[in-house]
Amino acid sequence: MMKAKQSIGRFFRYVRRHPMMYLMLIPGLFFLFIYKFAPLYGILIAFKDYNIFAGSNPIDAIAKSPWVGFANFERLFRSSEFVKVLANTLIINGMKILFLFPIPVICAILLNEIRNQAFRKLSQTAIYVPYFFSWVVVFGIFYSLFGSYGVVNNVIAALGHARIKFFTDTGIFRWLLVFTEGWKEIGYNTVIYLAAITGIDIALYEAASVDGANKWKQIWHVTMPGLLPTIVLMFILKVGYILDTGFEQVLVFYNPAVYDVADIIQTYVYRLGMGQMDFPLSTALGLFNSVVAFVLIVSANLVSKKLIHRSIW
Amino acid sequence: MHKKIKLSKSNLLLKVVAYVVMGLLAAMAILPCLHIISKAFSRGADVTAGNVVFWPKGFQLETVWYVLTKTPFLNALKNSLIVTIGGTAISMFTTITTAYPLSKPSFQGRKVFTLLYVISMVFFGGMIPAYMVVRTLGLIDTYAACILPFAIVQFNMFIVKNYFEGLPEEVEESAWLDGAGDIRTLTRIVCPMSTPVLATVSLLYAITYWNNYFHAMMYTKSAGMQTMQVYLYNIINNSQEFAENLASGSGFMANITSEGLVAATVTLSIIPIVLLYPFVARFMVQGITVGSVKG
Repeated sequence: MMKAKQSIGRFFRYVRRHPMMYLMLIPGLFFLFIYKFAPLYGILIAFKDYNIFAGSNPIDAIAKSPWVGFANFERLFRSSEFVKVLANTLIINGMKILFLFPIPVICAILLNEIRNQAFRKLSQTAIYVPYFFSWVVVFGIFYSLFGSYGVVNNVIAALGHARIKFFTDTGIFRWLLVFTEGWKEIGYNTVIYLAAITGIDIALYEAASVDGANKWKQIWHVTMPGLLPTIVLMFILKVGYILDTGFEQVLVFYNPAVYDVADIIQTYVYRLGMGQMDFPLSTALGLFNSVVAFVLIVSANLVSKKLIHRSIW
Repeated sequence: MHKKIKLSKSNLLLKVVAYVVMGLLAAMAILPCLHIISKAFSRGADVTAGNVVFWPKGFQLETVWYVLTKTPFLNALKNSLIVTIGGTAISMFTTITTAYPLSKPSFQGRKVFTLLYVISMVFFGGMIPAYMVVRTLGLIDTYAACILPFAIVQFNMFIVKNYFEGLPEEVEESAWLDGAGDIRTLTRIVCPMSTPVLATVSLLYAITYWNNYFHAMMYTKSAGMQTMQVYLYNIINNSQEFAENLASGSGFMANITSEGLVAATVTLSIIPIVLLYPFVARFMVQGITVGSVKG
């Protein structure tokens, strides 16, 4: 009781002394409530037979549409599309982790071995450039390179082979996604690891060198252990956000010919909602995605706290 | 360093591997950009024949001029600049004003407000509910709809908050004793002390706004409201039609091809990024370093 009273007293004293601190929070909270919290009410669409014209506006229509319980979820889980898009999401993002995750670590270690400052700076700057391009720009560039009549196919044709349909072949398309993701993101991730390497104590290298360790051994026994916390954190983040990444890339790159291998949860949510106007099914799938993603991210944070004593946020 | 001839061979190998691999990766990053830029400035016949690789063939400026004067490119540029500049200003305002109170250990209610931002980070209502809110507010086809999703990005806010927490307490206390209020302390003391992180975060915001395709596409309807990325996407997908219309029209120009048109539009659209790149690269490296050292 005493304690509660004390803290209430402290609170009011603080508010009287620092009213501006609370006023300052308003702009941020305003946008937070409009775009992040107000849509939470829209989740009800997943449990309703939603008719956008039932009310005076789309939000009002939510209240006026009849409840249907879990009918939309039944419809969702029974559809073959659901399994397909879930599998595609996991396969595409799994491939990206498997094949792309180690590359920036290697790049950072190699860059660190380059003593020629001009070359080092130039190559670091060069691999960092594509990170700042939008997915549409990356699409434009790669369509120009790998399109049916792009440079790559011209070379293939000149060598007497059949042209490869990189953008419509279901066997190739996922690799195109992995490759372009790598092209865009490797530089950025390299810089993160490079920053971590700079934090490693030089004395450790000197001691290893005195002990007769060559560069390879120094990398294995000094650099790698120094990088490990960052590697673990990055890996946890990648796995935690496995359902949420790659949306804009796929949306820009894919086309009906490759829906079977490229349609991920978010792109399907988009087409269900905005294309077929099936708002309840789309919202149900979006909610499924949010719930699973929430569990993944919170667990990822727990793992991160346990392993490397760092919270993701 | 000790001279050990025995070791130098394997060390040399590592050096060679480092130079070769990084050289190759750098080339892989840059050559595709050179390719699209070369195409934008090459003669139409060479573009169609597929002769252009990494350097312009038969230099011409007609395609670029055509994109600038005869297509809605400049309108898309205007829209993107409004969204990017306006959005970044709004985002920085909300980010700083939110980060400052939340960075003060003495701030009463700190935990509750911080929790709100963390919750909104890990749980999202979804695409359709967000669309319904934007539509109900009557924001479809407005600049505001393109800004709203990024008006405050929690991750960026936490970067700034972490940085504020690392500032020495004494400076602000002395400002207080001099009679400066919270706002004055923030604008006169805290912000000037935080220029590196504020520069980094404003660049993060600017790039997010400039590069965003999905929200701009979803929340705008009319052709006049198309941002650069939306416009670019449509050009890439409809360039064939576009060029055919052009060929059937009266103003036929030999240098304007569908591929050249795409290349020129892509090239023009990355100019702002290329111009900002020296700052972007420097501040981003600094920003990442700041973030990782803080832990």
